[in-house]
Amino acid sequence: MSGTACVCQEIECREIEIDYNQLDKIIRDDYGGNKETMIMMMQAIQRVYRFLPEAALKYLSQVIDVPLTKIYEVATFYASFSLEPKGKHILTICTGTACHLRGSGGMVRHIAERMGIEPGKTTQDLKLTLETVNCVGACAVAPVAVMDEKYYPKATIATLNDFMDRLDAE
Amino acid sequence: MRVLNIILNGKAVTAREGQTILELAQENGVFIPTLCHSPALEPAAMCRLCTVQVIEGGRAKFVTACNFPLRRDAEIRTDSPEVRHGRKLIIELLMARCPSSPELQRLAVEYEADLTRFSSLNDDCVVCGLCTRACEAVTGKTLSLAGRGTAIHVSTAFAKISDFCIGCGACVQICPVQKISMEDVDGERHILLHGKIVSQVKLPRCKSCGKYFGPVIDLEKVMDRMGEHLIPPPNADTCPECSRHNLAVKLGKRYFEQYGVFREEGQADAG
Repeated sequence: MSGTACVCQEIECREIEIDYNQLDKIIRDDYGGNKETMIMMMQAIQRVYRFLPEAALKYLSQVIDVPLTKIYEVATFYASFSLEPKGKHILTICTGTACHLRGSGGMVRHIAERMGIEPGKTTQDLKLTLETVNCVGACAVAPVAVMDEKYYPKATIATLNDFMDRLDAE
Repeated sequence: MRVLNIILNGKAVTAREGQTILELAQENGVFIPTLCHSPALEPAAMCRLCTVQVIEGGRAKFVTACNFPLRRDAEIRTDSPEVRHGRKLIIELLMARCPSSPELQRLAVEYEADLTRFSSLNDDCVVCGLCTRACEAVTGKTLSLAGRGTAIHVSTAFAKISDFCIGCGACVQICPVQKISMEDVDGERHILLHGKIVSQVKLPRCKSCGKYFGPVIDLEKVMDRMGEHLIPPPNADTCPECSRHNLAVKLGKRYFEQYGVFREEGQADAG
């Protein structure tokens, strides 16, 4: 693993390059620049940066004339929005009742240990974000792991190890 | 407007359609405890203390009185054993979060709340949202609620010192538990949330007496509303005290020049 990107908690370190032309395209062209479509704009911004950069939200606030603090309120309300940089790959492990009974807790602990991150956090090299979810609605095929939006039924530690090996090889 | 027949705690009263239960109760002298209500702001039903029982068409349900608009004839119970039981739990939860609120302490005694039931957070913010709603009513640019569920808290954007605060102090004035404070230090007004500075607003210095005063709240916007767009607000650089003094001197001088003499008020115009 070669970690170059900085994910330390200092705000200054989190500054990243923002392409304002691209932002303008998202806000004005794709969504018409109306405040009613703010959440969709935020989702589009998150798709570009894999999180919501402060500078991008500031710009959004100015363009659609919504106070920054309101945007912050929305960004912190929905679990799908992240104000912290997320990894290139996102591994979500279901910890709902059925998955829990079929050992998803052990899978979470295994990945946390192997990658050295707490659930909900991202590795230093921004390769992987480990998340847990309360239920993905596929209890019949528990335990369920979701890797980059692809669902893996009846997942095992071996399945997950395959992912991690591939990740390490990248 | 349709008039509704409501039975409020066993007494027949009339209500206007769309009126909230809390308004009706206040009109009829029935007390419902509230923490997050202000008649000047939109109800938010954050504290849940005003929960009452409504029986509409034979079905009973619990609703928050502050934001429940009456649409049908109904029976309302604001102090039944069921309501008191539910309210006791709400008080216990709120007391665990904010034990120092005098209003809550009073209610805890009245409802015989069990204060050992939930472990105390000592957060001292009831998350009533009054400050955020007051801020929204004034400028809407500084305070908002962040997070959700048990992690919900009052915050500025990105928990940083706000660039948009005008230092009006509405949040300080409305906070029911005095967790927001304000102090003027060296020409700056600081707003403190839980003791942490969340805004620093530069105060203007009076050109007459040299004292810091203010803040000058959005005078440009006031001028805009008066149709005087882009005209600098008059006397914006003088403190209210000096403004009054200067005006009195100016008027007095003109009066003296006109009549040659100062007259006591009420004295006959002898000529």
